[in-house]
Amino acid sequence: MMIRRFTPVQRLFHLSLILTFMMQTATGFGRLYIETAWGKWLAGLFGGYTGCLAVHKWVGILMLVLFLLHIVYAVVQIARGKMRGQDSLLPRLSDIGEFLRHTAWIFGLARQPRFDRWTWWEKFDYWAVFWGMVILGSTGLILFDSLVSSRVIMGWGINVALWVHRVEAILAILHVVLIHFFVAHLRRSHFPMDKAMFEGGVEVDAAKEHRPAWIERLKAGGDLEGHVISAVPTAMRAVYFVFGYAVVVIGALLVIYALINAPRVTW
Amino acid sequence: MHPVKTILGLLLFSLWALPGPSWCMEVKSDVHRYRNYELSTGYYERYEVRPGLNRPLIMDETPARPGILSYGPGTATVRVRTRLQDAHAGIAFYEGRTCVDCHRQQGGDNLHVVRNDLVCRQCHGGEPISSVNHYYSPLNKIRRHAYICAKCHQGAGISYASYLVHEPNPAMMSTRESFPLLFYAFWAMIALAGGTLAIFLPHTVLWGLRELFSGGKKKGGDES
Repeated sequence: MMIRRFTPVQRLFHLSLILTFMMQTATGFGRLYIETAWGKWLAGLFGGYTGCLAVHKWVGILMLVLFLLHIVYAVVQIARGKMRGQDSLLPRLSDIGEFLRHTAWIFGLARQPRFDRWTWWEKFDYWAVFWGMVILGSTGLILFDSLVSSRVIMGWGINVALWVHRVEAILAILHVVLIHFFVAHLRRSHFPMDKAMFEGGVEVDAAKEHRPAWIERLKAGGDLEGHVISAVPTAMRAVYFVFGYAVVVIGALLVIYALINAPRVTW
Repeated sequence: MHPVKTILGLLLFSLWALPGPSWCMEVKSDVHRYRNYELSTGYYERYEVRPGLNRPLIMDETPARPGILSYGPGTATVRVRTRLQDAHAGIAFYEGRTCVDCHRQQGGDNLHVVRNDLVCRQCHGGEPISSVNHYYSPLNKIRRHAYICAKCHQGAGISYASYLVHEPNPAMMSTRESFPLLFYAFWAMIALAGGTLAIFLPHTVLWGLRELFSGGKKKGGDES
């Protein structure tokens, strides 16, 4: 029996974030590493040094549009009362406590916190996208057309914007590939892949183990049956699995080659 | 209406509203056209545009060679000529050297050269190369936007020309004096990125190990 964790709209947002984020990573690295043979090959996939920038700008605008759409969506959901209490992704004081307990559990000093619908790291990942979008989006808009932006800010602001864009992008890529992919795919309890974000739901038994407070809350409210969804066809599960691993492998390769080639780039 | 349809519709609409492809293109093509034009007319001195120079891929890591022509007391004329029309007059074997023989750092500290295949003289001009402080220099601040930047970046203004082509290393203490905003913005971002990764990378590794070695039953939930 599967119970719903994500709606189709939420999965669509996540899927489009995967695709746009990977495109931005590839085209951004293509330009950053253009001095190296790997960078030239990577940029060549998108039409070279200039082609990369064109794709990067288009996809960047698309990301900002999706980001604004998501804010509208979130506001509408909140207004409809669907994000109340523990269903809300807003950080709470108890998240800090759960983080500390979870860390203590890692060292064998405490029992696992009884997570509700959202764990502290899921909230962190969610809000990290907001902070990344604001920093990368604002500097990206400055860099979008430097001639226009130099009429608003001084031209040397473009030096600053490029460096901020660069460091934040590297942070985002490292966090997504090294931490988010690991937590979603390679942890023993979720290996080989946590497909909740693709299939829309999780098995009740798994949820009882990983998010006991959530299941108990649903049961207490008599809401559990309302959350049951039909099983995903095997073919679709295979598609999700292949797609998920393709993204993981591409992300890992991009990071590995970027680290190898980092000393060969003029920073 | 179904929310998926609404979002897809808005996405399609936003695609329509995006700028045309030409808006997204950098002026790089103009750079190449300009460079080819200049090369074909022989505007540059021979020694700066020798074929096969492959400027953006300087793989030679040897440091600048001061050697017998060191920039020292014996060549003091170089230093006192920085406001004159010909900043390089009197340098021995000048014709046999390239700009980066002496200006090593300036050859690698800017994206125009490193990534965009420009050569020094496309901005600094032909012989005699004057100091940027010289009153008639095309790179003088009062006219560089029009005389230099606008050759490729059509419409460049004074503000645009204040972009630092020779960008200092943002990590260096010297940059705190010369370009404080870049220094502080860079280190603030490094603190943010380094702090985030310094906490969560070891955390994730330990977490993975904890789950890996926590018995036969899949953990991560209520138990243990």
